[in-house]
Amino acid sequence: MNRARRWLFAYVAAVVGIGFVHDPGALAALLGAALAGAGPARWRLLRRAAAALLLFNLSVSLAYALVAAGQGRPLAEVLLTMNLRVLLLVFLGFWLVDRVRLLDALAGWPLARLVATLAIGQIGVYRRLLDDGRMAFRSRCPHPGAVDLARQAGAQGGALFDKSLQGAEQVAQAMRSRGAFDA
Amino acid sequence: MHIPDGFLSPQTYLPAWGLAAGAWAWAGRGLAARLDERLVPRLAMLTGLAYALGLVMLPLPGGTSGHALGVALLALVFGVRLAFLAYSGVLGLQALLFGAGGITALAVNALAIGLLGGAVAVGLYRLLRRFGEDLAAAVAAFVSLQASALVVALVLGLQPSIARRADGTPLFFPLGPEITVPAVLLPHLLIGVGEAALTVLVWRIARRKGWVGP
Repeated sequence: MNRARRWLFAYVAAVVGIGFVHDPGALAALLGAALAGAGPARWRLLRRAAAALLLFNLSVSLAYALVAAGQGRPLAEVLLTMNLRVLLLVFLGFWLVDRVRLLDALAGWPLARLVATLAIGQIGVYRRLLDDGRMAFRSRCPHPGAVDLARQAGAQGGALFDKSLQGAEQVAQAMRSRGAFDA
Repeated sequence: MHIPDGFLSPQTYLPAWGLAAGAWAWAGRGLAARLDERLVPRLAMLTGLAYALGLVMLPLPGGTSGHALGVALLALVFGVRLAFLAYSGVLGLQALLFGAGGITALAVNALAIGLLGGAVAVGLYRLLRRFGEDLAAAVAAFVSLQASALVVALVLGLQPSIARRADGTPLFFPLGPEITVPAVLLPHLLIGVGEAALTVLVWRIARRKGWVGP
């Protein structure tokens, strides 16, 4: 079993285990342990995790706070438990991806690896194309109006399809040359 | 509209993982024979589109987010099985790379959005295509989004009943279905219009370029 796979299994075990912890103190201690274990990357990963769930958990927490206030339900412990658990789980996910190459972790599952390869390849293509298009538009049109934005979005949408298909064809040919489609 | 990590109880997500494992095995059967250098680029492109759509999301107080999916499009172009697999991959990557959705919730999300959404889209499209291809694709995309949103809202809303302390305090997601169903479904009625328009647009391109089918 390679290192990436061991990390993946440890992550899955931790994620399942955390589902059975309902004490906010214990969840805070686990978060502290994860932060300590993450080393120098800890604050970067924590900021990413907090940013990823901030809006989302804030909306749920506010909704529950309104309901709980109206019905006299317990508030602090429920919100603390929920938010600590979500933060810990998201942090562990980011920590995993930071420590291992996802494709190495999926090495034993050809189908999962194939799907991940395709998706990761396309994510890179889309991200590059969007960045290029955005910068080109900004350089041509520093103060865009609504019509400019709509025109740019339409043109970029069409270009995305053509260019991402071209990019994906290159990925598919690379996979073909490595025997990915051989029965 | 996927559910994040930490909102579902193990009583919910562990059986869902068992169910999803069976569904993934079914969807992956015979896949190697279908995949070739013609199909893979098209699949990768539309999977990438679904991924991009899923990242432009609006948090909803009902415990999930509102965004277009692209699942109906994937299912219409490639069939339910491939759409389910491809969208499961999208959900896994979104969870690990962006913290959107989650690994514990992956199976529920994949079943509700990828499998149910894809199946509803293909079923409705076949039922309605005699009234016109565009209309059928639009209705299929709109209804499939609502069906997935409803299941996600119900699964979330049932959490306070499934996992709670002896005094009734919820252990996981704290809001009931009386809140989650309207909070999730109402915004998706509007999002569904955008999803339908996008699906028809790309569906037309896909048919014109001959991408539909294996």
